[in-house]
Amino acid sequence: MLPSLGHVAILIGLAVSLYAAVAFVLGGRGRDAVLLATARQAMYAAFGLAFIACAAMVISLLTHDFSVAYIARNNATTTPPFYSIISLWAALEGSILFWTLLTLGWASLVLYRYRARHTALMPWVGMSLALVAVFLFSVMVWPGNPFSRITPVPLEGSGPNALLQNHPFMGLHPPLLYLGYTGLSVPFAFGIAALLTRRTDEEWLGVVRRWTIIPWIFLSLGIVAGAWWSYEVLGWGGYWAWDPVENAALLPWLTATAFIHSSMVAERRGTLKVWSMALVIATFVLTILGTFLTRSGVVQSVHSFTQSAIGPWFLGAIVLALGGSLALLLWRLPDLGDRGDPPRAVSRESAFLFNNVLFLGVTFVVLFGTLMPLIFQATGGQRISVGTPYYNGLNVPIFGALLFLMGVGPALPWGTASWRTVRERFTLPIVAAAGVLVAAVALGMRQPAPLLTLGLAGFVGTVMGDELLRGARSRARVRGEAPATALWHLATRNRRRYGGYVVHFGVLVMAIAVAISSTMARQTTVTLRPGQSATLAGYTLTHDRLVIEPLAEDARVTETRAEMTFAGPQSGTLATALRDYPNSTAAIATPAVRTALGEDLYVTLLSSDPKTGSVTVRVFVNPMVVWIWIGGAILGLGAAFAIWPDGRRIPAVLPAPEARRAEPAASVPAPVSATMEGS
Amino acid sequence: MTLAPPVVPLPSRGRRWGLIGAVAVVAAVIGYFAFSSIGSALVYYLTPTELHARGAAAYGKPIRLGGLVEAGSVRNDASELTFVLTDETTRITVHSSELPTSSFREGAGAVVEGELRPNGVFEASQVLVKHDENYVAPSGSAVPSHVAPTY
Repeated sequence: MLPSLGHVAILIGLAVSLYAAVAFVLGGRGRDAVLLATARQAMYAAFGLAFIACAAMVISLLTHDFSVAYIARNNATTTPPFYSIISLWAALEGSILFWTLLTLGWASLVLYRYRARHTALMPWVGMSLALVAVFLFSVMVWPGNPFSRITPVPLEGSGPNALLQNHPFMGLHPPLLYLGYTGLSVPFAFGIAALLTRRTDEEWLGVVRRWTIIPWIFLSLGIVAGAWWSYEVLGWGGYWAWDPVENAALLPWLTATAFIHSSMVAERRGTLKVWSMALVIATFVLTILGTFLTRSGVVQSVHSFTQSAIGPWFLGAIVLALGGSLALLLWRLPDLGDRGDPPRAVSRESAFLFNNVLFLGVTFVVLFGTLMPLIFQATGGQRISVGTPYYNGLNVPIFGALLFLMGVGPALPWGTASWRTVRERFTLPIVAAAGVLVAAVALGMRQPAPLLTLGLAGFVGTVMGDELLRGARSRARVRGEAPATALWHLATRNRRRYGGYVVHFGVLVMAIAVAISSTMARQTTVTLRPGQSATLAGYTLTHDRLVIEPLAEDARVTETRAEMTFAGPQSGTLATALRDYPNSTAAIATPAVRTALGEDLYVTLLSSDPKTGSVTVRVFVNPMVVWIWIGGAILGLGAAFAIWPDGRRIPAVLPAPEARRAEPAASVPAPVSATMEGS
Repeated sequence: MTLAPPVVPLPSRGRRWGLIGAVAVVAAVIGYFAFSSIGSALVYYLTPTELHARGAAAYGKPIRLGGLVEAGSVRNDASELTFVLTDETTRITVHSSELPTSSFREGAGAVVEGELRPNGVFEASQVLVKHDENYVAPSGSAVPSHVAPTY
């Protein structure tokens, strides 16, 4: 009953979104407000239908309706309710259903919010989003039907993939990532609309920037949560392996980040417009490519749990989206001519330009490495994979350069920087960087990568601190406010600028944490009989006993657990286990992670001997890992601060760029000019 | 307060080409290093039969070998592991001083990364277990499994 309802909802959803696409086109061409209103309502209806289908799936999962093939493959009667619910996105067909729901959620939100604004653009935005919905519903009607039935109905399902039911993070990481992925279809839709209507001006840039940053926040948090999941679940002591699916999430993040920066130049200076448009298109295409790579079986990774016939569909969608939008971009190229001057060598816009080149450099490196196995297979049938040394060797220096620009860019004025400004702004930071380096070497650090990172962090941190102090001090003097109040007022009146600083600060925290944790971790592998101890980096780990018993929540799962006591910088007890799931040939690690601000103690069970009770464990002491997650949270908060509506909304039309460009940006320190703008 | 020396801007056109040149140089450097370094980072994925067919040419090359752990072949002590990896045609003895990150067991699929030594033993720096409910001995199309990088 319910599965049939879900299937019917999908069929109607396809029809309704097809109608919406056609009505948006006809209504847009004929300026027919009534037709456009019905198109919008059709999209809301499609959202409702996707919601019904998702609800039907979740309820069927909770009631273990094994007549549905998806549920028989991904659920069992013993699966706990929480993992039954999140099985909605545990495998391919359910993921696409969930994906459709989120895409239509974003689409409805945007169409509702701008129902009376941007009237020239919105029909084409609606058309683009409706076409995305048509594609997703079609996938669910033909190659990836989530409600397809099996007969005879099995009495028991095979249960969710063991890896995916081992940690509550599976309830968090995929939805965040999918919210990011699906939200990025909004800027794409605005890009297409702007190209079609030849309104590629500051109006669309402003809207698109905001609607890129919102999904970007989710994508960023989703990537960080994925790294955290990998760290807590996979048991190898690390968090990033340049696995194809990690790369697939990173690629659109890189191009979206590049766009967020380039759009500021386009908005302020009228240059880099074609470039920005190309980035919006690339970001959207990369989100589809990610799905294609990881879900079609062409590249295997830890996440490619299911393979199906959707590959050709997604490949077709990539070709259509990329070919269509590039053709449109080329056709409209004359409209996108730069109005402004080309940037001068030492200026904020040239820093942005190099930032973009470097972000695209990382994108190229990652894309090239991810596609290499495909290229080899297509040309000679050789099966290869690309090792992490390739990615790290190339990306670490590029990220170092990006970190440097992160300090330089915001401190340089728009237009051109005089030698005096450069000297004033960067003398102290360079001294600070040198100080940090000397201190780090004195403390015994010798590896170049973390030294470089720390030095750069000292530089960037000082630039930002100096910038904040300058701004706060001058406002405090002019307005007679307390310094903290002045800083808060300054920040809330220039949300973009100061939110951006917070994001950069989060990146800085993450960069330091990654550099330290990936080079200064210590590990050992020991075999301990009950009562024996091992030591590592100040910790003493004592093996108390080995327990083998069925898991309390799911009796079909056998847990082999080493119970241990540890003492040192942190102390207490821990249990590290291997879980045997009936549907998995390999046991799933359940590492014990004891987190402190300074370092994590990470213990993973490798093997055990039930006769003697002895266990072999790998022990890691990973410094600073928790700061990666903290840095990610700071980054998300900063971006949310930057786009938070500030109440005293300036009219949708920005002040003419000419007027802005006229300000003597070169000689007035930026925060002061920002204060004047804000007051 | 001293006046900054007047900045003499390059003509717009020259500035444009200068920047395009700088951007092109950065892109070329990244591209050059990407193309030149990827060759040494490629890891070939082979089945035991394919590895055997390569003969002496395979010695010392980074290789990932996938197959089934032959029943009864595992010799394990605290610091060493020896077992036979098979695709049911060819058997290759694998030696490793690294223990697998998750438990691995006889009859299940495993992937080892390392190199073939001239004595015919595959020296593995990593032993990975394939996390897949539908694992079959590798037979055609896929590069397997998750890679856990070594520190």
